[in-house]
Amino acid sequence: LNLLLQSIGFGLVTASILALAAVGVSLQFGVTNYINFAYGDFLTLGAYLAWLAYVPLHLNFFVGSALAILTLGGISMLVARFVMQPFIRRQTPVLFLLIVTFGISLIVSNGLQGVFGANFQTFNLPSQQDIQIGPFVLTGNQLGIIAIAVGVMFAVHMLLTRTKFGKAMRAMSDDRDLARISGVDTERIAIWTWFVSGCLAGLAGIVYAMNVVLFEPFVGQSFLFVIFSAVILGGIGQPYGAMLGALIIGLATEMSAAVINSSYKSTAAFLILIVVLLLRPQGIIPSRPRGTAAWRQA
Amino acid sequence: MLPWIFYLVTLSVVFFIYIILGIGLNIQFGYAGILDFAYIMFMAGGAYIAGVLALGATTANLNQEYILGLTLPFPVPLLAGAVVAGVMGCFVGLVALRRLRSDFLAIVTVAIASIAWDFVGNDNHLFNGWDGLAGVPLPLNDVLNLDPNTYTIVFAAMSGVLATVLWLVANRLYASPLGRTLRGIREDLEVAEAFGKNTFRFRMVAMIIGCVYAGVAGALTIEFVGGLNPQGWTVIETFVVYVAVLMGGRGNNLGAVLGALLVPVIIIEGTRFLPVSLLGSSGLLASSRNVFIGLLLIAVLWFRPQGLLPERKQVLK
Repeated sequence: LNLLLQSIGFGLVTASILALAAVGVSLQFGVTNYINFAYGDFLTLGAYLAWLAYVPLHLNFFVGSALAILTLGGISMLVARFVMQPFIRRQTPVLFLLIVTFGISLIVSNGLQGVFGANFQTFNLPSQQDIQIGPFVLTGNQLGIIAIAVGVMFAVHMLLTRTKFGKAMRAMSDDRDLARISGVDTERIAIWTWFVSGCLAGLAGIVYAMNVVLFEPFVGQSFLFVIFSAVILGGIGQPYGAMLGALIIGLATEMSAAVINSSYKSTAAFLILIVVLLLRPQGIIPSRPRGTAAWRQA
Repeated sequence: MLPWIFYLVTLSVVFFIYIILGIGLNIQFGYAGILDFAYIMFMAGGAYIAGVLALGATTANLNQEYILGLTLPFPVPLLAGAVVAGVMGCFVGLVALRRLRSDFLAIVTVAIASIAWDFVGNDNHLFNGWDGLAGVPLPLNDVLNLDPNTYTIVFAAMSGVLATVLWLVANRLYASPLGRTLRGIREDLEVAEAFGKNTFRFRMVAMIIGCVYAGVAGALTIEFVGGLNPQGWTVIETFVVYVAVLMGGRGNNLGAVLGALLVPVIIIEGTRFLPVSLLGSSGLLASSRNVFIGLLLIAVLWFRPQGLLPERKQVLK
């Protein structure tokens, strides 16, 4: 039982990382209506940029991470502006947009491997004392990750409900055409959404790398469909659903690791994904106005 | 035989295998518009099954562990590999094809492929884990009793015949009512449904046929090369076939053949001859080649989305 309780603690850490990443995927999908398969590699890139700032350049870890997050947001924006938008303007079918993002994924992951090599890297953060809270034993870093995730979720909530940009994003994910004729500059909102989703990817990548300690150029790719499981479980395009999905998937993967075997951790996430797709493809919180229409559209 | 002729013959086997892979993907992606990112997994499935059926019992190979090991004679492992790949395609299709959006199809297939990859790699008893199978006997080698050079020519001829037959079958399929319906579904799924077509069943047929092609290609690969490990079927390999089909011209089998010549044979096999000193290390060569494939893909979709040999418009007379 102790092991199970402990795994709930780890589950909360995984859920926090997943929530950061899943909200980024969900926002971007909601607004642009196609999936970015390079998102996992954005996570890896974020981790490598932070590593670059902290280890070889000896910047303060937090300053370096902040720079990495903003840089990644910028890169993500450039990708949206100079790769995705031109294809969308040409009315390229979604099928090809997905292949384009897959191509970006290939470029980023292999580019990282070319530059940094295939070896494992680590932040080498100073080791910390375990902290016991109730039944959970976690490191200070892990508590920090949970705190960051909670803070960011709150910030995303404020962004979506209190700012004009957030309202425009919600309007676009509800109905793109209606948003446009109501005077929302859809292209600009889409590009800024990529910026936000890139920043979240960077942050998620850094905390993911902190949590797994050792990381290599393909680490984000293997984490990607765990993120997708959370996103789809919560209801694709729904940021709040993504948070909920992340919590469930995070707990499920860590608990299954405690009960069965840690090498089949991601299999648990995947099985949930399959069951959700078969039984409730719209997820826990379906897209509001068109009901199930969002996932049926070709 | 001169070494470079021998090399060309070997290369032609690679070419024929990629033709089969390309046509199979063309049936799924080009005919029916199915975005199957697990394509290489079906090739691996066919290869592994063919391998363990052709290999002898595991006790004879103390350094390897795998299931079956039945020492079956030549055409049987190939056929079994094709059948198993088709069955795998059926199972994946049951999950992935129920939902209509291509995003979901892509996510599910990627997820299944990466689970299968982890599973086959981590399980040492199934197909010898990360080390993979090795020492698969060359088909009919003991019966024909040829020297290695002549044998390679025979194998190349055999795979050439196989590729031609599969090409003709795929062309017949394209012109058949089934092929027409698949293209209709590709263009507009809802219209096809409105005409009373059971799109799930039609797409499933395309999925299975494509997977059978992948299985044949896989079986040929393992019987020619003699082994396969998980490094041989990473996501990038699926991508190579996609780039080939897109570049050649999706929906057109001649395009798939041209793509097989351009992408896997010339770009990938050809760059092996670039001097390593040019880029520092062979690892860097491999990653820059993959970056190049990614760039090439985006460039093809931007500059010539219909491919070099576009699908011909069918006009009803």
